[in-house]
Order: sequence, then C-alpha cells, then structure tokens
Amino acid sequence: MADKITIGIADMKLAKGEGMLVTYALGSCIGICLHDPALKLGALVHIMLPLNMETGRKNPMKYADTGIKETLKQMEAKGASRSRITAKIAGGAMMFKDGSGSLGNIGQRNIESVKLNLKKEGVRLLKEDVGGTVARTLLFDVNSGLACIRSYGRQELII
Amino acid sequence: MSIKNYDELNSLELDTLREIGSVGTGNAATALSQMLGRQVRITLPEVRIMGYNEAIEWIGGPEEITAGVLVKLSGQVNGIMLSVQPLEFVNIVLESVMGKTVTDYAQLTEMEHSALVEVGNIMISTFINALSGLAGMDVSLTVPAFTVDMQGAILAVPMAEYGGQSDYIMTIGGNFVSEDKQVPCRLLMSPDLRSLNALLRKLGVSDG
Repeated sequence: MADKITIGIADMKLAKGEGMLVTYALGSCIGICLHDPALKLGALVHIMLPLNMETGRKNPMKYADTGIKETLKQMEAKGASRSRITAKIAGGAMMFKDGSGSLGNIGQRNIESVKLNLKKEGVRLLKEDVGGTVARTLLFDVNSGLACIRSYGRQELII
Repeated sequence: MSIKNYDELNSLELDTLREIGSVGTGNAATALSQMLGRQVRITLPEVRIMGYNEAIEWIGGPEEITAGVLVKLSGQVNGIMLSVQPLEFVNIVLESVMGKTVTDYAQLTEMEHSALVEVGNIMISTFINALSGLAGMDVSLTVPAFTVDMQGAILAVPMAEYGGQSDYIMTIGGNFVSEDKQVPCRLLMSPDLRSLNALLRKLGVSDG
C-alpha cells in the first residue's frame, strides 16, 4: 500500500505518482480531492469555512475560496493543466441536529461555496458524498484518483 | 486591554479562567454525583488554547467514536459548551441509572439517549449557572443537541463556529474522578473572543 500522508484541518498536501492522502473526521468541514490524471498528481485540501473574510489572511487553506485557488496554483506550478484537473468532494455534514437552528448549517454553506468556487475556477466536479449527519474520513489515492470514505455506522464508500 | 486572539491572554487572565473552570466543573461534579449516587470529584481544571490539530490530538485522536451533548450559549456570553462522553462514561451512567451496560453506541435505546442528553445538559447548566453567578452575567442556553460520531468532527463544531475569528480554540474544563477511578468525561466551554473579553472585564482582571 502507498505511503499515507495525513492532512490536518485547514491544511493541504500534494502527492505525485504514488501516495495516499488522508484526512480524518470531516464533519461540517469538506475534503476536496483535486486530480490531474495525466501526471497522476493529486492534492487534498481540508477546508473549514466557506468564505475568507479574515483580515491578514494568514491561512488560505481554512477557507473554500482561497483554499481551492491556492491549491490549483500549486498544482499548476508542478505542471498540472487546468483543463485536466477534476475534483471529488466529501463532508459538509450537520453534526448536531438542533431544533432551534441556532448553530446555522456551516456544512451546507461549505458545500455551496466549494461547488461555486470549483465552477468559477473551471474544475469539473466528478463525484461527491456530501451533507447528511455523519462524519467522514477521506482517503485519496493519487495514482488511481479513487477516493474512499469511511463513516461510523455506514458502509465504506468508493467514489 | 482587549485581546484579539486567544494566545494573547496573560497569566492573571488565565488563572481567572481556570478559577471559573474550577468552580464550574466543581458544581457539575456535585450534580453528577447526585445523579449517579456516588462521590465524584474533579481533577485540576484546565484552560487550554490550542491549534485545531493539536486540540484533536489532545482529545484522543480524530476517529474515536464518542457521544456528545452540545449547548449553545447566548446573552452576555456567547459560546458553545460540549459534554464529551466516551463509552466508558456512558456505561457508568447507564449502570447507575438503568442498571445495564452496552458494548456499542448502536445498542442505545431512545430512553438511554435521553438519559445521556439529560446528564450532559445538567452538567453544562450547572457549570454555566456557576459562571453566571460568579461574573454577574446573564447567559441563556439552547435546548441540548446530541450526536454519536467521530470526536474530531464533534470538536470541529466550536472550531468552525469561531474559525473566522481565530486559528485557535480555547477550552475551559476538567476531568472527573470517582472512587479513585477516572470518569472519562470532558466538559468543554469555548467562548467567542468578544465574550471572553467581556467576561474578563466583569471579573476585574482586564481594564479594557
């Protein structure tokens, strides 16, 4: 099995040729797998919030908009071509169903922002496993471009 | 002076928060011992300011399955309060309240879910009552929400809620001990920055 590379919250890592990119326990956060199949170059970003409105903008990978933009830039610097890059996403759950709705639904906003920003950047969204109420661990094989999703009380899912 | 990030707190301010944690978890321990019918004490209360990934390691890794009860605070203090209940704690509660134990969360009945929510809710409410009395601030609580899932994703709820303000999460809380055995249950409070400043001012340790 390929080497496991762990991606934390508000983090991104790239791998080329071989490698398993893993991010654990995505709740309302979203894991975005970006892949250039010709180069077998893959990236996994773990974003937490939909829009970067922070002053100073120290951490672009925390947000869907700046996270996607910055990751694409780094992939292109390694020779990836925008027209070949595809995306698979997982996460955006609502961890607590509270009747009062006072927590808002950050997961849903994250899903909308990720889709909007992928579209804006001209990246095709191939597969998704988003929403619902379960946390997801996401494993992304940069060689095959396949992603595996593990959840509590649910069968493993390959997308 | 008002702080703009959690890591700017000085040692006097941290001590004050630790004191709140101590009184809050102390009262929660008393409530818990009444519910369980046995003595429950607290160990040293902690105030922690952690990066996201550090916080997840601290709680014991991202994928561990736990039950969580969440209450949102509003009024003069905004924040989120969590009662994190690993299976061992669940069984301590079930054994004393219902006289049974389970080996997996999936075996919990509706009735047992309610019992866990109520235990979490009572501990959280007692903590907040103590805080509100100490600082003379009004705090309202939402109805508790409950989930069973990976603890990394549960802890990410307060992180995401205040993620636009800070790269850190602050938690005030403590651990519980009963009959010399650790009661593995965590009570965590994550205030937003503005409330934290207001709280410190009310307690007289911040001149802002």
